[in-house]
Amino acid sequence: MEVTNELKLELKKLVVDTLKIPDVLPEDITDDENLFEGRLGIDSVDALELVMALQRNYKVHIDDQNLGRFIIKSINTIADFIAKEQSKL
Amino acid sequence: MSSVEFTHKMSAHCESGTLAALLNHKGLPITEQMIFGISGAFFFAYLDTKQFTFPQFVVRSQPGDMRVHIEKRLGMKLVKEKFTDPVNALANTDDLLNRGIPHAVQVDMFYMEYIPKYMKAHFNGHFITVVGKEGNNYLVSDGYYPSIVTLSSEAMEMGRFAKGSLAPKGFTFYPESVKSASDIDWKKQIYAGIKQVVFNMTKIPIPFLGVKGIRKFANEVTKWHLKTRDIDHLSHEITTIHIILEERGTGGAGFRFMYASFLQEASKLINNPALSDMSKKMMENGDNWREISLFVARISKNRELDAGKMNELKNMILARADWEETFFKELGKIVK
Repeated sequence: MEVTNELKLELKKLVVDTLKIPDVLPEDITDDENLFEGRLGIDSVDALELVMALQRNYKVHIDDQNLGRFIIKSINTIADFIAKEQSKL
Repeated sequence: MSSVEFTHKMSAHCESGTLAALLNHKGLPITEQMIFGISGAFFFAYLDTKQFTFPQFVVRSQPGDMRVHIEKRLGMKLVKEKFTDPVNALANTDDLLNRGIPHAVQVDMFYMEYIPKYMKAHFNGHFITVVGKEGNNYLVSDGYYPSIVTLSSEAMEMGRFAKGSLAPKGFTFYPESVKSASDIDWKKQIYAGIKQVVFNMTKIPIPFLGVKGIRKFANEVTKWHLKTRDIDHLSHEITTIHIILEERGTGGAGFRFMYASFLQEASKLINNPALSDMSKKMMENGDNWREISLFVARISKNRELDAGKMNELKNMILARADWEETFFKELGKIVK
């Protein structure tokens, strides 16, 4: 599976919906902004919510929370991970 | 400058990760999941003594146990040393590097300069592998980070000699001799590790250990409000459940995912399909523990800590205790 703009927008919608981020539209999230350190400032609880949402929606499994933090660092890193995992299916 | 050619890998748990990295370097191909499983490190204890300011629980065996058991079961020799003087500790590190020996050191994670701010916390039980030195900076392989990083000598000293509980005291170790994979009776050692966990989780007659400990935790958590000053304090302590299960290098769900991976690998290595079935079950169990992590994080964040929610939490944890008791008894029969 390739990383497409469609996938990235889908992920941005997932981030906003899962984390219930007010006043932020999916299109406002840039592909490479750091979801932890940037203006969205997600915390470890948000990270777990996001990991579980990704698992449900994309049939992937992120066991390792250390690795998980680097996977969900930005929309780009999430998209790369999803594309790579989907290619294995 | 001194540097060892070292293959860096991210790891879920620092102690098993450094052991795996060092053993791989010495020519024994082994994963951290196998180290975790063979050493019998999977455990549960609910601790409520004067030693702690608040009840807490642990999800692995005590510090040092993993190294003791893996040394014995893999027939290897670890060189271990502690130092009282930072000068001697760093001189020892420099000497080992000059001799081309990468080695693990115990540190307070807070002083690791490369760790992003949002991940920083004081924790004296973190392990990293020192693999080189350039000028004043050490080259370090930290399994919690995606690549080899630099750490100043000052930060190395502060990390290795931080004070407090589980103080590192300059502790360092490296494997001196390692058996080759073909000389290890893998079935015997895998079974030994599993039997140890089965015993610890289901047979120890102590009410706060193993599945008895999980049940005690479930029942006690509904009384935590009697031990806290106010709702904010209770919220903090409830959040700690999430942190222990997910954030303290457990690989997620309090080591359940790591144990599932171990069972899967073990199944392939010794050609025992029953262990693969058990691996799948443990993976699902891990997902259920993760639901608990998320539940406590949500109720804590929203301050929904009434009796109803706490009873719900209690029942979720009791369900895990019942499940794990059945699981480990079944696992025990497989490796009999």
